[in-house]
Amino acid sequence: MDSTKWRKLLVYSLMIFITVITVGPFLYTLFIALKSSGQGIYDGILPTDPTFTNFVYAFNQTDFLQYLWNTVIVTAIAVPFNLLFSSMAGYALARIDFKGRSIVLTIIISTMTVPFQLYMAPLFQSAGELGLRNTHVGLTILQISTAFGIYFMRQAFLNVPKDLEESAYLDGANRFQVWFNVAIPLVKPTLISLAIYTFTFTWGDYLWPLINTTESSMYTLSIGLAQMSQNFNGGNLKLISAASILTTIPSLLIFIWLQKYFISGQTDGALKG
Amino acid sequence: MGESVKKITLALLTVLLSIGLVACSDGEEDAGAASDSGSSNELSGEVTMWTASLSGEPFDSYFADLEQQFEKIHPNLDVIIEDIPQGEIEQKVLTSLTTDDVPDLVNLAPRYMVSIAAQGGLLELDDLVSEGTKSSFLEGPFESGYFDDHLYALPWYLTTTVSWYNDNHFEQANVTKPPQSTKEIYDTAKTITEATGNPSYYQIINEGDTVIQKMITLANGEPIVEEGKTVLADNEAIVEFFTLTQQMYEEGIMPQENAEGSFSTAQELYMAGNLSLLESGVTFLGPIESGAPETYEVSKAGQPLNDPNAPVNVAVMNFSIPAKTKNPDAAVALAEYVTNAENQLEFAKVAGTVLPSTKESLEAVYFTDPGDSPKALGMLEASKTLERSKVLIPPLENSAELREIVKMAFVKNLQGEVTSEEALKEIAEKWDTSFEETGIAPTF
Repeated sequence: MDSTKWRKLLVYSLMIFITVITVGPFLYTLFIALKSSGQGIYDGILPTDPTFTNFVYAFNQTDFLQYLWNTVIVTAIAVPFNLLFSSMAGYALARIDFKGRSIVLTIIISTMTVPFQLYMAPLFQSAGELGLRNTHVGLTILQISTAFGIYFMRQAFLNVPKDLEESAYLDGANRFQVWFNVAIPLVKPTLISLAIYTFTFTWGDYLWPLINTTESSMYTLSIGLAQMSQNFNGGNLKLISAASILTTIPSLLIFIWLQKYFISGQTDGALKG
Repeated sequence: MGESVKKITLALLTVLLSIGLVACSDGEEDAGAASDSGSSNELSGEVTMWTASLSGEPFDSYFADLEQQFEKIHPNLDVIIEDIPQGEIEQKVLTSLTTDDVPDLVNLAPRYMVSIAAQGGLLELDDLVSEGTKSSFLEGPFESGYFDDHLYALPWYLTTTVSWYNDNHFEQANVTKPPQSTKEIYDTAKTITEATGNPSYYQIINEGDTVIQKMITLANGEPIVEEGKTVLADNEAIVEFFTLTQQMYEEGIMPQENAEGSFSTAQELYMAGNLSLLESGVTFLGPIESGAPETYEVSKAGQPLNDPNAPVNVAVMNFSIPAKTKNPDAAVALAEYVTNAENQLEFAKVAGTVLPSTKESLEAVYFTDPGDSPKALGMLEASKTLERSKVLIPPLENSAELREIVKMAFVKNLQGEVTSEEALKEIAEKWDTSFEETGIAPTF
């Protein structure tokens, strides 16, 4: 075998290894979820008599449909608003030369280092005073304009050639039109990456939705999953696995659908500091 | 194009504002719905109870019935029962206490109760609960509701320590009964490991609390802390426990995963057939029944693995009332109702793996003749253990620190990084410092 073939073999082996360690746990969880009541979770890897019963039980055990509905609404609010506000703020920080711009940017970035637990109680108070307790909007307030999103979009806008924007200004466009018609289309992959990040964070957000809800009818899927897995006697692992799969599927589908943009968006955001 | 941009932006802002207004109106409605019990003797208004990790069936139906029955007794009262994941309940209660949006009754483990009571977050119940109610509980569990000489909680359900073993492994190794001392644990576990080729014994560590409980049990009446001074090194039974667990870990009689030491790891190893013997509560068997039905069928329960007369720990789940409750009378009435003998017995039947804390419920046939399933046998052993059970670790302000110190030292001892004498010396020194810094001098 020549060196090219060896290299190929090595690359493929490495790729298979990485696939196994990343996809493996997901498949293992899926196999546990598919095992019947007569088969122990450690009796072989594959289900001998595959069944969807655990998915049905998991669905019925918690108020899954209500939690799913809440999660969908919360995510549907958080994603577009985070894209809108982050791209507007990011553009301003990248292109508008206002006084104190670097200080504003530093302050925004530094908020990322503050642990959530530190401002959880005041946020809980504010949310209550604003009437946002037990509301879908209340559950999204951490995600509708994130420091990460603003920084991420700013980095992307820095890569947009200034010449294009200047041409638009010469054609009579105002700043808002330049942002929307020139800059936004050029950072589409970054926007999609941010959409995926926001979707993933909001979909799986746990502590804030739990703290800000005092009615279980407002719980999201991640809380339902925690209720099941923290059951006082350790829970039923087949049901927990089934619920985990049900909870993960939407994120997985979104990621598969948008993955080509996600990869290029991540690279775009990393080019210029 | 400019017009369309404006339209889109306006539409988005309108949607956000509308949603915000809807949210505000919901909040107002909620606030308006709540009212105090007032000066009338009849209870009225809202009373909200939080349970900890008791969602889904059969609990949903149980609590729905309970709610209905209580509302029937108090027709002007609206009972709301919500379930909170156990791991976050302390944080959620503490956060809610920063506002007026607090529950009226909360299901708390004693360590959370102590933490919240120490911050002034719980109502003192000494004068609010009747003497009849107080005397209906078993003494040990009832005592767990005290902190700083004040009653902050009523006991609800309990779990006590039993031993669980895989009878197939015992038969394979020709072992006929579970051991009753640390030396016997070593001999038995070694025999089983030689017969099965797998590790056989697991010591649950959790946050360090189970090791402290084990030390107190092994001390068998002798205090391990006397007026704030730790006295471990002279206790031969505790030294032997540390020495032999280190030896078992080194010899592969205890699994490598034991250094992590959690309850759930023990359950996974037991289900996988990689464990034969351990001490835990009856709840241990919960996921085994569904996750490893064959292992469940051959599981047997026995008394804890130590001197049959030594005290063992009872884990209590309590009910406390947050200090900011708007409806204290209703909260007390609901707490007394949920924890009365009849409802506790019913709850124990529904849960299947816990014991009630009321004396009367324990006399029911359900506990004296529970059947012959592995869970039922566990319940039987647990109810026998209850006679010598008590809350072994008193509620202390520095409990979390004490647990952490023991956990670190025990794991280092297990992994052979220190000798058993060094591990116990480290615990003693750090505990003494902690007692000094906290300004307390307990004996336990």
